[in-house]
Formats: sequence, C-alpha cells, structure tokens
Amino acid sequence: MRQISATLQAVLDSRRRRPSFKVYAWDPATVTISQIASSPSNIHSSIPMPMDLTPYVSEVAWTDKQFSFTMVDPRNLFHPDTGAYRNYLGDQAILRLVEGDETLPESDWITTSTGQVHGQVGWKKARHSGQITAKITAFGRAETQAFKRRKITSQQYSVGTDLGIALYDICQSFLGMTPAEMRIPFVLGRQFRHRTNQLSQVSPWEGISSLLEVVCYLPYFDGEGKLTYVNKSLQRALDRVLADYVPCVELEVPENTQDGINKIKVIFLDASLSRVDGKNQKLGTASVTTGFFSRKETLHCWWSDDRKQRASGTNMQILKSCNAGLISFCTEGYSQIDDYHGDVLIRVSIWVAILATVMLLGYLILAIIPDFWVGMFFGITISFGRLIQALFMVGFLVIMMSLGSGQYEIWGTPYDYAYLEKMSIAMEDGLDYWLENEKEIKNDFIGDHDQADTIAVTELVWEKSLSKPRRIIIEDDPSLEVGDIIGIPDGRKILIAGLSKKIRRGEVLSLTVEGCKVMTP
Amino acid sequence: MSIRKIIDWAVQDQKTDMKGKIVGDFHQLQDNAGNWVWACDVEIGGGETTNLRSVPIAANNLDVIYAEQGKGVSMSRIGSAKWTITGLSKVITNTVHTMLVSFKDDIWEITGSVMVGNVIRPITYGELGTLIAGSGYGVLPYGAQAKFDYYGNLIDLMLEN
Repeated sequence: MRQISATLQAVLDSRRRRPSFKVYAWDPATVTISQIASSPSNIHSSIPMPMDLTPYVSEVAWTDKQFSFTMVDPRNLFHPDTGAYRNYLGDQAILRLVEGDETLPESDWITTSTGQVHGQVGWKKARHSGQITAKITAFGRAETQAFKRRKITSQQYSVGTDLGIALYDICQSFLGMTPAEMRIPFVLGRQFRHRTNQLSQVSPWEGISSLLEVVCYLPYFDGEGKLTYVNKSLQRALDRVLADYVPCVELEVPENTQDGINKIKVIFLDASLSRVDGKNQKLGTASVTTGFFSRKETLHCWWSDDRKQRASGTNMQILKSCNAGLISFCTEGYSQIDDYHGDVLIRVSIWVAILATVMLLGYLILAIIPDFWVGMFFGITISFGRLIQALFMVGFLVIMMSLGSGQYEIWGTPYDYAYLEKMSIAMEDGLDYWLENEKEIKNDFIGDHDQADTIAVTELVWEKSLSKPRRIIIEDDPSLEVGDIIGIPDGRKILIAGLSKKIRRGEVLSLTVEGCKVMTP
Repeated sequence: MSIRKIIDWAVQDQKTDMKGKIVGDFHQLQDNAGNWVWACDVEIGGGETTNLRSVPIAANNLDVIYAEQGKGVSMSRIGSAKWTITGLSKVITNTVHTMLVSFKDDIWEITGSVMVGNVIRPITYGELGTLIAGSGYGVLPYGAQAKFDYYGNLIDLMLEN
C-alpha cells in the first residue's frame, strides 16, 4: 500500500477529483537513477532540476512495470539526432510520472512510475500533417537486463548473519543502490545456517530473489523506483475494502486456459553435515614377529594409505596368533587411538625375559659344578653339572623357540560426512500421480524443514490463487500497489498482481486491477 | 499454456545430472556378448520409491568402484532414460516432508503430512538380537546393514549374498 498524504486521501474520498499529472526527465549524463530514487522529492538540491515534459505529453499508458506516452515536439527539441534536449530522451534517460490533483500542491502528489528509456525512442515527422511525434516508453528498474544477466559472486557471509544484511550488501555492491532506495526490512528474521555462505555465479536479481524467497517475499521496484517486496503469504489484513460497488466499473472473471501448479517441491541443503556409514569391512592389516627379546610391540594401523579415512566401531581379528607356538608367552590387544588409526599392542610376558635371563645365568653359573667321579682307581665320571646345565639350556631353548609371528586384521565401519539434501512438498490432496504439475524451488538459504514447509505451502496457495484470475476496473486509487489485497463488497478478496490505466487530460481515470482470488486458511 | 512454462518444462526435461545414493554392492552388468562393466543400484530419493537398477559407472572412476553402500554419487544422463555414475557426491538425498493441502472454494487446509526418508546404517548391537523377532543373537551377522524409514522402522535388511 502506497503512502499518500492525508489531503490527497481526502480528495480521493470526496470523489471530486481534478486529476493531473507531470512527466519529468533527467539527463543520464548528469545524474543516476539511484540518485533520483534516493532523493526525497523530484525537485531537490541533491539532484539536478528535471526537464518538465508535461506540455509535450499526451496519451499516457501506465502499468506497474512501465509507462509510455506520445510526445508532440513541433520544435524538434527532442529529435534523437539534432534536438537540443535529446539527452533527456536518450538511452538510459530517467523519466518519472507524478500524479496528483490540480487542487493540491505538488508536494502532495505521488510518483507512480520511475523508469528509464532503453535504447532509442521512436521519432516521426509526417509529411502530410507536418506533425512531429515521438513514442516513448520508460521501463521500470526491474526491467534492467543487467540485473538479470550479469553473473556475480558475493563475499562470504558467516553463519548467523541475517539474510537482510546480505541482501543490502548485494544491492549496494552489485546494483549500486543506497539504503534510501530500499523498502525491505534490514532484518528479515532468517539467518544463514551454513558455516560459509556465498552467492556464486548468479545474477543479482536471482540472488535477491533467492534471499527473499526464504521469507516468501517477491522483490519488485515500486513507483518511486525503490526496491520493495510482495508478501506471498495471503494470510494478512486487507489493504483496501470496497464498501460498495459504486467505485467499481467492471468486475470480470477472465478465462484461464493454463494448467495450474498443484505441487510445490522445496529443496534445500541441511546445514549440518550428517555422518554416512559405510559397510563394516576390513580397514587394515598388521603383522609382527616377536619373542623373548622384546617386551612390547606396537603396530600402528591406519584405515587408509593417505591416513584420511575415518572409521568407528573398530575391532581386531587375529588371523594368526603369536601364541600359536609351544607356549603362550604374550598378550595381543588392540585399541582405537583416534578416528583415523588404531594400535595393535603385543605385550610379551615379563616372566619370559626373566626366565630366559635366569636360564642363561644359571647355565653359566652351573658350569662350575664339578663332575662326580665314581670308583676308586677306575670308574666313570658323572657329569652332574652338565646335566643340570642341560636342563637350563633346554628351558632357554624353549623360550627361544617360542618366537611367534602374528597376523591381524582390523575391521570397522568407515564413515564420512555429507550434506543432506532435504525436501518439503506441498501438494493438493487427492491428486493422482499422473496429474501432478509441479514447480521446483531450490534454495540453499533455507535452514530446516519448518522453513521449507512454510515456503512450500505458501507457494502452493499462491499458485492456486494465481490460477483463479480476477479483473476489476475501479476508479483510480493511486495508493494501491502490486501485492495489496482488496476486499470487495461480497466478501471476496482479490490480490493485486498487476495494475494499469490510461491517463488523459481532463478525464477521471479508471484503474484496471489484474488480480486473483485470495485463498485463506 | 505460456511459452515460459513450456520452456521451463523443456529445460527440466533436459536435466543432465542427478544425485543419488548407493544402495547395494557393486556388480557386473553384462551385455549379450558377455562384456561387462561395474554397476550398482542407486536410490535417487526425492520421494521416489523406485531405485535405479544397475547404473553403470563411467570410465576412469575407480574411486566410485571402491565406494560403499550409503555413499552419495552424482550421475549424468547418457540416454533418454539411462544414467551413468560419474563421481562421488558430497550431497545425498534425505528426508522428504510431504504435506497434503485441500482447497474448497476460497479455503485451504492442510489435511495431512508424512515424512519419508530412508536411512541405511549398520545394525546396532542391540538390534542384532531383536530386529528379527524371536530369533535372538546369531542370525544377523555383526556389521550387517539395514534400511530404516524416517521413524526408525525397519524396511529392509541389506545382507550380502
């Protein structure tokens, strides 16, 4: 709903109007459209004085996206080649349409369109009549192709940053806009959920649209050339209520021959990485040969050659144990050290080393035990000491022979983290599979299912409403804007999707409202 | 029908890449002459219950062959209805929340909703003994995987042959 002054509203309410308009033009070489849109009024010290085209203008056709008019230029002032003021209608020339009432000062009038000439205006001199006319169209700012074709990459926005901050930043960095040109709240109430966020290789308009999509807003430029939005949520108060049919000229239900959208898919990327487990499998192998000469063997076992694979629930399977020999002389254990590797630990029992040492020392010491001689003059020598030594040697050899080779496998569940692509679907109840006519919305700024659900349902209701077009022709009401909801006397609600009117001097204007029926919960 | 809408559909029909999730072991896909390539079944998610069967792996993608069940893969279209796995993906399809909305005159109402989204994960130690009622431990091997729905209900056991 456009803000209008109380005095203008009083004139509108009185229905005694003397409509009037003015068309202003600025030379694009002296001022930018951004400066014009930022200026608090059309005649202001911050911008150059405009050229008043009104005396030359007739047959103004206005829509919410552009306005066009015919110019009669008997003195060739605006001739594209030779006119003294040709820059005021040259490529990118800035034009504004201001509407009001003759009875009111211009400060109470409102600017209903701000646009630019794209390319070259048409100019014609008729030989038979000698009349010089030009056909001029000023396109709204949203029609600027540079907004929609140029690809941009934004700076990075950290997690928790409000989407509105990014929106303002993009508008200032890539569209050359100032905060004064924006009528979108600085804080949208939705934050970035991902750790790093960047818009990459999208047009500025796509970027703005996708940021606003999260809050169910649709961007558009209003009559003053300021960036604002249409709220797609139709659960809101009426902007204008028609108490009776007096201001209505026509009420029409136009034909609609298109299949309506009946299914909305909203796809988004969950900000949290989710663990994806692989199959339980062999992650690594280890082998060792150990024995009395060692106290402990530690075998590091990584889950991949590049030491980057992560795994959980790991355990060791013994293919061949070190204790498979004569005696069990060691313990074989395993522990996971971190997500990337584990250690196979072979501990040789302490008694092995002690026993080996004792046996060896005993063998040496027992060498001093003398042999026993049996007999008087002749006899045999009993090598008693060697027998005892042999026992020690046997014990020592057994320990030596208890060398063991072990082979081990480490099994576990490898895992990685991945982004989850989630989806919310809103569709008509009772719809057969083959009748689905879907629309897909992909947006990585959506944080969770709740947000996506809201967008999906809002979009479905929006599309459903758009499939029920309505047209009303009413007395001109300059306060109405695209996105407003009008209540008509029978209780129905009409969403304004487009506005148009033809402006002629001395005529009371009729406003054509292209809209659709509002569906409410 | 607007030109814009028809163009949108045409663009959508020309979709040349898709993401999915491996849902089985790799196997050999043979032609009539006995030549074969590696292939696997892929779940494409997005509310689709039917898996793509025997999707071949594009050449020079050994990493994919060594990928396991549950890994995300990206696929490219090679025919009107044929796809090939061209690489690993950092994104896997997950839950889908479907809401049914009824429209009567000017009134709309959400009449139902359901959350779908399969999770393939190893069976926990507790589940090994309870997943198959009355069987106790020993029937399911440790490390076996199973497919569960969003609410944790068992859909399918994914045992190796």
